[in-house]
Amino acid sequence: MLSASSHGRTPAAIRLVAAVVLLGLVLAFPALAPDPFILSVGVVIASYAALAVAWNFVGGLTGYISLGHAAYSGLGGYGTALLITEAGVNPWVSMVVAALLVGAAAVPIGIASLRVRGASFVIVSIALVLILLLVAQSWAGVTGGSNGLRVPRPFGTDVLRPEQHERFFYLFVALTLVALVLWWLIDRSRLGTGLKAIREDEDKAQALGVPTFAYKLVVFVVSAFFTAMAGGMYALWFGSLDPIFQFSILTGSYLVLMSLLGGVRSLLGPVVGAVIVGYAVEFFKNQYGDTQLHLVALGLLLALVVLFMPDGVIPWLTSQLDRFRPGGTSIREVDAAQLAEERKALEEAKR
Amino acid sequence: MTFLETNGLTKAFGGVRAVDEATVSFQEGRINALIGPNGSGKTTFFNCVTGMIRPDSGTVTYRGRDVTGHAPHRIARAGLGRSFQLCRVFPRMTVLDNVLAGVRSTGLAHRLRGAHNPDDIARARELLARVGIEHLERSEARDISYGQQKLLELAGVLMAEPDTIMLDEPAGGVNPALIGRIATLVRELNAEGRTFVIVEHNMELVMSLSDHVVVFDRGRPIASGAPADVQNDPRVLEAYLGV
Repeated sequence: MLSASSHGRTPAAIRLVAAVVLLGLVLAFPALAPDPFILSVGVVIASYAALAVAWNFVGGLTGYISLGHAAYSGLGGYGTALLITEAGVNPWVSMVVAALLVGAAAVPIGIASLRVRGASFVIVSIALVLILLLVAQSWAGVTGGSNGLRVPRPFGTDVLRPEQHERFFYLFVALTLVALVLWWLIDRSRLGTGLKAIREDEDKAQALGVPTFAYKLVVFVVSAFFTAMAGGMYALWFGSLDPIFQFSILTGSYLVLMSLLGGVRSLLGPVVGAVIVGYAVEFFKNQYGDTQLHLVALGLLLALVVLFMPDGVIPWLTSQLDRFRPGGTSIREVDAAQLAEERKALEEAKR
Repeated sequence: MTFLETNGLTKAFGGVRAVDEATVSFQEGRINALIGPNGSGKTTFFNCVTGMIRPDSGTVTYRGRDVTGHAPHRIARAGLGRSFQLCRVFPRMTVLDNVLAGVRSTGLAHRLRGAHNPDDIARARELLARVGIEHLERSEARDISYGQQKLLELAGVLMAEPDTIMLDEPAGGVNPALIGRIATLVRELNAEGRTFVIVEHNMELVMSLSDHVVVFDRGRPIASGAPADVQNDPRVLEAYLGV
């Protein structure tokens, strides 16, 4: 692999084994969890992982930081709930249809909001989630307002809570895996190279002929779709929706923190961030009750990340490991013999 | 044949008319130079022509097509490549990926193809070899020297297969040996049929390299012609030296 993000200096076999072991541990979690509460924490973390990977389609690939992604998860949640309660649609079909509708709605939203960059885009994203919060609170006839909206459970009443947790844990992991595979495919495609060029220097990318607006819009819609899927799945798991939690800037901020913490440029960065932040949030809530202390702790965490690991945990760990490798320098030159060898191999591969 | 032309091109920033009804034409197959004192509007003119800035009025015509106000990527695809005054590369991408970012893609299927397919890599490496930095292909662009970044920028522009290349101060901040290399490259590429429009302050380079010179002052052309003619034009001397 030749890209900066995927400079494969660790042999592919080792990475594959590591991935299989990691996945095995994740899948074994429900069996290892000592009680239903820990299992439910696992579901929350898995839902955060799905949301953070969905966020990273825009944040990681284009560098556009959205603090308002709760807009799409909230819409996905309410869409799913309303399709079930009002139209009598099957819960799983409702979840997918709601996500598709949110994806469609993301087209005009993206056309309007992706015209601005940097801090302006952040503000637009916040504005969207605040508008939706007000609408959801005021439109009580449909959303239930501040009284909340009950979402029927998708599994029968004979399925007990712990088993529900277990099933939803696997569903969130599956959704995360699908999103990760798509992110990986985009990352290594020409589209991905164009997107990363946008992240680095949008004007320069345009000058090279990259249709930046269309590229941004594509990943924006994909991101909204997966975020809505995760939102819909959360609604089915949690069983009730309240605007103040569904359309919360805090959720968007968590997603940004998770992705920054793990590393927005790496495939698994948002997942690592989701595990750390998700666990920290639940730990603080559990230890100190429903105070705002967990927010203070997360604020400190964000400050530390920005100050000491601006690229996130994964790139930081990789760079620390690189220091112990022989011949690790900042400039990686290839000599003529190496180049000739690689070209020969490429030509043979072409034949 | 005139193939890149502006007519009454105007762009104001507040009360300052950076480009003021500029009517300019550039000839195909030549090395055209655009010179003028600092603040005379050369870069703004470049930005209006390449779509980076939408002009307030006037038109830009390329190969007989009105491209005024078109998005920069459309103008780039029409065959007009450019570099920037302050050299711009993608700092966190490798040298090779910087060049691959210029690959022309059409259609969804083409865009979803792997970014590192052998044909593209072979072409990118050819271009890196041509500008003399193929040994740095795995380095991140932020790790290489400014002069090497200038060469990398040129290789990226060439990957997009432009007919016309607009270079904004290619010799700015570059050592004399590298200026010589850039000049040689420009001559070679021009001999292969590419047209150049170059904004440059290095008069020695402009006079030795260009076939046609346009002089800007206060946002509009005040003289144009062969380098030797322009050099002795009293309006040019006045603009540069105030005499």
